[in-house]
Amino acid sequence: MLTLRIAWRNLWRNNRRTAITFAALSLNTAVLIASFALMLGMLDDLVRNATDLVVGQVQVHHPKYRSERSIYDTVIKPGDILQAAASAGIAASPRAYGFGLVSHGKNSAGARFCGVFPEKEKKTVELYKHLLAGNYLPDKPGKKLVLGRKLAKTLEVKVGDEIIVVVQAADGSMGNDIYHVAGILKSMGEGIDRTLAMVHYKDMEDLFALNGTFHEIVLNSSGKMPEDKVAAAILPSAKGNEVMTWRQLMPPLNDMLNAMNGMLILFGAIFFLAAGLGVMNTMLMSTFERIREFGLLKAIGATPWRIIKEVSAEALLLGVASTLAGGAIGTFLAWYFQYHPIDLTGFAPDGISAMGVAMNPEWRATLSPETVWMPIVVMWIISLLAVLWPAVRAARLDPVKALVQV
Amino acid sequence: MKTAGLFIIITIFLTAFTPASIGAGAHASAKNILDRIDDLYRGKSSHAKMSMKVVTSHYTREMIMEEWTRGKDFSLVRILSPRKDRGTATLKAGKDIWNYLPKIKRVIKIPSSMMSRSWMGSHFTNDDLVKESRMADDYNYSITFEGKRNGKDIIELTLDPKPDAAVVWGKVVIVVDKKDMLPVFARYLDEDMKLARTMYFSNVKILGKRKIPSTMKVVPADKPNEYTEFSVLNIDFDVNLDRNFFSIRNLKK
Repeated sequence: MLTLRIAWRNLWRNNRRTAITFAALSLNTAVLIASFALMLGMLDDLVRNATDLVVGQVQVHHPKYRSERSIYDTVIKPGDILQAAASAGIAASPRAYGFGLVSHGKNSAGARFCGVFPEKEKKTVELYKHLLAGNYLPDKPGKKLVLGRKLAKTLEVKVGDEIIVVVQAADGSMGNDIYHVAGILKSMGEGIDRTLAMVHYKDMEDLFALNGTFHEIVLNSSGKMPEDKVAAAILPSAKGNEVMTWRQLMPPLNDMLNAMNGMLILFGAIFFLAAGLGVMNTMLMSTFERIREFGLLKAIGATPWRIIKEVSAEALLLGVASTLAGGAIGTFLAWYFQYHPIDLTGFAPDGISAMGVAMNPEWRATLSPETVWMPIVVMWIISLLAVLWPAVRAARLDPVKALVQV
Repeated sequence: MKTAGLFIIITIFLTAFTPASIGAGAHASAKNILDRIDDLYRGKSSHAKMSMKVVTSHYTREMIMEEWTRGKDFSLVRILSPRKDRGTATLKAGKDIWNYLPKIKRVIKIPSSMMSRSWMGSHFTNDDLVKESRMADDYNYSITFEGKRNGKDIIELTLDPKPDAAVVWGKVVIVVDKKDMLPVFARYLDEDMKLARTMYFSNVKILGKRKIPSTMKVVPADKPNEYTEFSVLNIDFDVNLDRNFFSIRNLKK
């Protein structure tokens, strides 16, 4: 207790030095917390975009579907899977796919139809939020279409226009009908942009004579559980089907995200190093400044241990106080950026997309416990190291030499 | 014929193999047989009613349709039954195909991206309808067998595409019955020399005053349990059909 009191007094003895060190420590802590949270936010965003946009965390298909894309390779017992997902609290959206022709006036193009139940789809993935024009599919069937951007461009259609669809139905007949454009999607990557035509499942069922079958079930817990847990939750109900996580479904994207993760960790390490060195510099300078003082203390009989103890106590006090202050500021900043994302739309007005993943133009921080405690602990260690080295040197120094040291 | 274009096949098998046109002689050379097939079929017109049965592992479909053809470039097919498809029509003019869809009263030109898709759920693609060539010109041919096989007197012709010919098959083997010079079957091999489809001709009848195999069955090699079978119900040859008959306006009727 005495040591702490002396340390406290010592800190106030040189206000200016203490203030500078305090400012350096707290500012660095705050910046570290905020940037750490922003980096985590970026990573989270990348993963969320990979999964929340279209793909979901886990997909279920007939084992042959992904290689053959045959309209007949439908999900086995989809009802069981949907039920298992519901009881595990995982959002699930069944989808049907089929190829067909869409045409408007003189323009026509091949399209990949995707039939969904809009209310389920909206709870599962966020594609519906990424519309360039018009609206998403209404919850009730009504022969409406949501088109990929390039497909709409090829057809030269706008919202409300009539589209003739002709498809090869599952019963061998030629399904045909008139649909209307409800909305056009933003740029989502080549596959979607060029061929996707989303329709209500009930409309699709009629058009393709699907008879209540699906080709895909998309599952997404929206961040509540990791993808392997989601897969495990529905696996018993998906017998005979192929269950895959997004990492297995999109290996190149997975690789890209892993590379990005590594990059961010590297950046994070550099940040920590830079901040740590800054703090260390300040602490070292302020301690070296006092070597003469330590020499004097030793000359009047202080043991080396006492000097080390005192200096450590000072550093600890200063460290705790400044990291608490910095932690508060940093936490506030991270919290602020979590709810008030940095707007990057100015850099990419059309949205950023890579490998079928649309990047969010809003850069959001993720505030999690480790984004706060890690920088603080690192700061403590750094400040302790920064004072111990000169303190140990001073303690071991011959008092006479310490006294004459500049 | 080599591309097994649906209309071409139909036209060939409706018009080509008649006793009158090919003297059923043992001395008919390969070129004679092929040329007569091509020549006889050119410039002719026809009006027929036929049935198409498509059997796949997923569905069986039977349709009755009416067809008009003029030369190799023009044809019009209209579906009479089943009711769901009644009035659906396909017009072929040169390299283009249009479909008329009565349910929505619209005509659609098939874009190139859809040419490889099935026509009316059958084992023929839209491409099969428009791709055609002249056997004696586009293929090197020879008689590879002549004599008795399975107790039947036949002639086997083997056709190899010429290097610069724009044909899809790697090889075509046609077996003709020597007795009436009517085809028995034809095998189509792809570029890797793997069998792609076999066409069987049977049920020889006198229709439209000509002796023709009235049933033609196509079996895809990769799905031996599936087939598309055409049967001619009745037919008239050399009917008076104007070029204007094969118009989009007429397609909609």
